[in-house]
Amino acid sequence: MSIRTALGQRNLLYLLSQKELRTRYRKSILGWAWSLLNPLSQMIIFSIIFLKVFNQSAPTGAASGLDNFPLYFLSGLLPFQFFSISVTAAIGNVQGGASLIKKVAFPHEHLVFSIVIAQLVTIGIELVVLSISFLFFGYFMFQWLIPMALLLVLISLFTTGVALALSAANVFFHDINYLWGIVAQLMFYSSPIIFVPSQVTSEAVRFVSNWGPAGSFVRASQRILYDGQMPSIERWAHIAFFSIATFVLGAWIFNKLSPRFAEEF
Amino acid sequence: MALLDRSNGASSDYALRVSNVSKTFRIHQERASSLKAFIAAGGRNRYEEFWALTDVSFDVEPGQALGIIGHNGSGKSTLLKCMAGILTPNAGNIEVTKRMAALLELGAGFHQELSGRDNVFLNAAILGMGRKEIAKRFDEIVDFADLGQFIDNPVKTYSSGMYVRLAFAVAINVDPELLLIDEILAVGDVTFQQKCMEKFVDFRQQGRTLVLVTHDATTVRNFCDRAIWLDHGSIRMQGDPSDVVDEYTETMLGAETSDGAEVGRRGDGKITIDTVELLVGGVPVDRFHTGDDLTVRLHFTAHEPIETPVFEINIASLGGATVTAPSSRQADRTPARVSGSGTVDIMMQNVPLIAQRYVLHTEVTGYGRQHVYDHLQNARTFDVVTGTSRETGGLVTLHPTWTIVGDGVETA
Repeated sequence: MSIRTALGQRNLLYLLSQKELRTRYRKSILGWAWSLLNPLSQMIIFSIIFLKVFNQSAPTGAASGLDNFPLYFLSGLLPFQFFSISVTAAIGNVQGGASLIKKVAFPHEHLVFSIVIAQLVTIGIELVVLSISFLFFGYFMFQWLIPMALLLVLISLFTTGVALALSAANVFFHDINYLWGIVAQLMFYSSPIIFVPSQVTSEAVRFVSNWGPAGSFVRASQRILYDGQMPSIERWAHIAFFSIATFVLGAWIFNKLSPRFAEEF
Repeated sequence: MALLDRSNGASSDYALRVSNVSKTFRIHQERASSLKAFIAAGGRNRYEEFWALTDVSFDVEPGQALGIIGHNGSGKSTLLKCMAGILTPNAGNIEVTKRMAALLELGAGFHQELSGRDNVFLNAAILGMGRKEIAKRFDEIVDFADLGQFIDNPVKTYSSGMYVRLAFAVAINVDPELLLIDEILAVGDVTFQQKCMEKFVDFRQQGRTLVLVTHDATTVRNFCDRAIWLDHGSIRMQGDPSDVVDEYTETMLGAETSDGAEVGRRGDGKITIDTVELLVGGVPVDRFHTGDDLTVRLHFTAHEPIETPVFEINIASLGGATVTAPSSRQADRTPARVSGSGTVDIMMQNVPLIAQRYVLHTEVTGYGRQHVYDHLQNARTFDVVTGTSRETGGLVTLHPTWTIVGDGVETA
């Protein structure tokens, strides 16, 4: 499957991704504004909790000199949401594609790929808006979008791998869908999005938040966007390794299971 | 429907080869579709295997129209889905040497919120077409669907007729060399069904290959040049469509008499009707248009000299209503004596039959109409398609002329 058919039928992939983008905000008044309002509202909620309820102070950006929790929060939230929303949507898209899968022979993995591509477009827009808001705090960081793009390629591989595995398994066991909701929350809170690793005293929590799969790419993203520094080689190697491994494993699982989709639905 | 180019480029003596294909389904007794149940069952689902197909093998030659018949649950849809690549066989394999498309459901993959235009592109891509190919055929598709400015409205606003027309327009323009069709012809109105039929006839005349899965014996008899009868997942009989269909309908014991397709014969056989031909413009046809001049030609053999035999034909709807039943006696054309073989031509001008399927019975009797030499019930069926009249109700058109007047009436 994957890569070869994806290239062979890239027109289908393109149109499926386009469909995702075009139909996402149908029948809503604010439309695309929602893709920005959602992270924005979370930013406000968590900033109040972090700064006012728990009385914590924002980390200082190593090279940027920033001292701004809302921006720190968004630097980690945006890549994480890209990951979690993609997986949730992919599970739904494969499930919702039942009538098509039963009637048409086509590369099923496109149902997953198209979601990830549509989410990439979304995070692209969000990152540009984020960069503009950094400007208001006197920090110019557009050049950092280049390493961020490379990081996103790796996160996309990781995301696609998880999405392939879970969306295929969900065809056979619908529990996966609910289980994923819990796992996604666990990953969110174990990643250093609403806290700063250096402020955590527990060694174990610090380790997981730094080197857990989600924590690792959240750290890298914060380093690039908020600190204005290149992540370490170890960081890149770590992300590259688990991203590629996850993608290969996910693709293998999907390949094993997808021939049975049509009869399972 | 999907277009798959699994062809290897080399010319082969088959368009599609099915070799020893078996397919089983798991019938779950207690379907463990939750993880808890799955784990509780020790990581195993308890199921029974159901053999939908058992060791099925056959070839489809290029340019052939193959009909696959069988009762419900005979495995014919499973076979079609295996050929289409939707289901994976447990054993055996399927080779395709032509660009193949499978038409299982019209409009599978249409998205309600998108416009007709967007859906054309998306649907055609799902069926395997490239961007340039779609762009090239777009106008043709829209013309065929006949939607006018509605093409830019979301398809959820379409009537079911518009929806099906658009879906079919996309499907047929995928331009495959090998087409697999499920019983989709049963959808849409009569006019639409004819449009489909016409497309399929064109398709055949262009030398393309067709595989048709249906339980309608008449379609197989009229439309295919080879038939396979599938029974409980294996091939019960294959060969000439008439033979297979006869055997099939006989075994079904008239369980499906809805289209009255079984040929019934009675009489002493001193004269027999051997074949019945329909001619339009001197050319044998299976179908013609409303308003055509039709000649029904009966080929008969008198096995001994017979005095004043009366020939009669009876054209009826599938529902059994006789439309017309001319006989040589009323026309005063009964021959004094026949022997050997010959033909009877019944020429009818400007045939007013409206578009649908009809059945034709023939009869040869003595002059008193009491003695039956040969009666052929359901000698053949034929289709009439929209011609000079576009009416769809009733059985015949009486060539009406309409005049509507009034103070507030505006002409279009």
